[in-house]
Amino acid sequence: MRYRRITPYLFIGPMIVGLLVFRLIPIVASLAASFTRWNVFTAPTWVGLANYRAMLGSPDFWQILRNTGVFALLYVPGTMGLGLALALLVNRELRGVTALRGVFFMPYITSVVAVAIVWRWIFATQYGVLNYLLTRVFGMAQGPSWLGDAHYALLALAIVYVWQSSGFQMLLFLAGLQNLDLSLEEAARCDGATRWQVFRHITLPLLSPMTFFILIVSLINSSKTFQVTYALTGGGPQNASTTLAYAIYQNAFVFFRMGYASALAYALLVVVGAITLANFGLRRRWVYHDEPRAS
Amino acid sequence: MTSRAPRSPSTARKGGWARLSTVVVYAFLAGFAVLTLFPFLWMVLTSFQTPGDTFRIPPSLTPSLLFSAHPFANFAELFQRFSFGRYLLNSVFVSTVAAAGQLVTCSLAGFAFARMRFPGRGLLFGALVFTMFVPTEVTIIPEFLLMAKLNWLDTYLPLIVPSLMVGAFGTFLLTETFRSVPYGLEEAATIDGASPLRIYWHLFMPVARPALVSLFVIAFIDNWNELLRAVLYISSNDLKTAPLGLVSLQGQYQSEWTLLMAGSLLSILPMIVVYLLAQKYIVQGFVTSGIK
Repeated sequence: MRYRRITPYLFIGPMIVGLLVFRLIPIVASLAASFTRWNVFTAPTWVGLANYRAMLGSPDFWQILRNTGVFALLYVPGTMGLGLALALLVNRELRGVTALRGVFFMPYITSVVAVAIVWRWIFATQYGVLNYLLTRVFGMAQGPSWLGDAHYALLALAIVYVWQSSGFQMLLFLAGLQNLDLSLEEAARCDGATRWQVFRHITLPLLSPMTFFILIVSLINSSKTFQVTYALTGGGPQNASTTLAYAIYQNAFVFFRMGYASALAYALLVVVGAITLANFGLRRRWVYHDEPRAS
Repeated sequence: MTSRAPRSPSTARKGGWARLSTVVVYAFLAGFAVLTLFPFLWMVLTSFQTPGDTFRIPPSLTPSLLFSAHPFANFAELFQRFSFGRYLLNSVFVSTVAAAGQLVTCSLAGFAFARMRFPGRGLLFGALVFTMFVPTEVTIIPEFLLMAKLNWLDTYLPLIVPSLMVGAFGTFLLTETFRSVPYGLEEAATIDGASPLRIYWHLFMPVARPALVSLFVIAFIDNWNELLRAVLYISSNDLKTAPLGLVSLQGQYQSEWTLLMAGSLLSILPMIVVYLLAQKYIVQGFVTSGIK
């Protein structure tokens, strides 16, 4: 297709301006800021690598990094496993299946803050309905203080986040399943393969490009925890549920340590970047490619 | 439960096993449905209770206000004492403008990326995809200073403009969608002398309708949920969005569950309306985009 030379740039123009001003330049500016000591009210002073040295030497930082990792380990398998299970179950001709898909997707189309507040009420230690069920129905001696106990706070955040997002994962998996070519599965069934064999050796490999896409999206989402944390625990008790995203906000806009917060922002960028790159590197090992081979 | 292939391939063998497995599947689905719906039921129930009802063991299951003279007392209090109506309107406005704007910027860019060859295309598309992996928290400090320089603090603009201009996910989705349009149509239109803008508008946009609707819903939800920017940029009560209004309410009234649940319920209703209007397009939008 031939267009005049200038045409494509007119079409992408608005997006490129936005991309530069709101994303690319700030990414570079964050890096520059991470080499300064800066409280917003006075001019920044250059301190070289001091912020990074302070960060790596601080036990708080390692705890926050650990929290971020633990949260991802709870959230990513939880939401993907649930999303895939739901997608498989609703990808069939059953009565009422459309309504069920709507039900499972519902938590995703609600306000995260509203949902977090509802869960805070469910988690409430004394009058909350969860602890009521645990003690009176399941016979536990005492329900935990979900949001006030360092052992449970991250788990509570992950439960809310998984509950909120697994419907979206279901939808993506469902789109993947509906794009599959069913003839292979049917042929295998005719040849006497069990359902598990068909699922394990045909459905899963065919679905793997979508699974890869969802894995990347979920990993990135697991680093975007600001809303739930802000509404549920505020990072507490102490630092027990502070993740990197939340620590950036706290340092920058509560303690006004812009330089240090920028160093944390870069730590987050490096962690997310390294994990994403590692996944692209491992992609060949398990993602199936349907490309015609030269013979 | 994952041990079953989707869509039973053979409908010929409908024996006792098939019937049993259908029962098992329904049981699982029903269980998940209860888990999914319970927090919503609890929210609705509590928003029709009095504060006294929320401090009972066992938890009270009666929406007691429904049987009183003022069934909507909690909602009325939110509107009268806390200008919750204003918060909702702010959120509807900000989310609608940002999502509608994204449809324009993302579809224009997606069209160029999908159907035109130009120097720098690969690099720019790469930069765009790269920013999808960069959480907002990474760029929020420079962004905040930029907003301060532009004098945009405490206005709607910082909630709208960055989101409207850089829909990385939307551009990606629409690029994939436009790529799947057959070339023949476009050739014919060019030979007839149609301008690129006409081809984009009359040929490509109608084909992409399911993807556009999905994108609108997703962008609307994302913008509705934007809390970090609202916390940083908005200070006047009149400009607060619904989520910001809710967290400030929670800050003041930690355990006034009846008010908090009524507010939560109000702040999800507009999203449910948008979703119901667009529902039939959503799965279709992802399927036709061909993202795999």
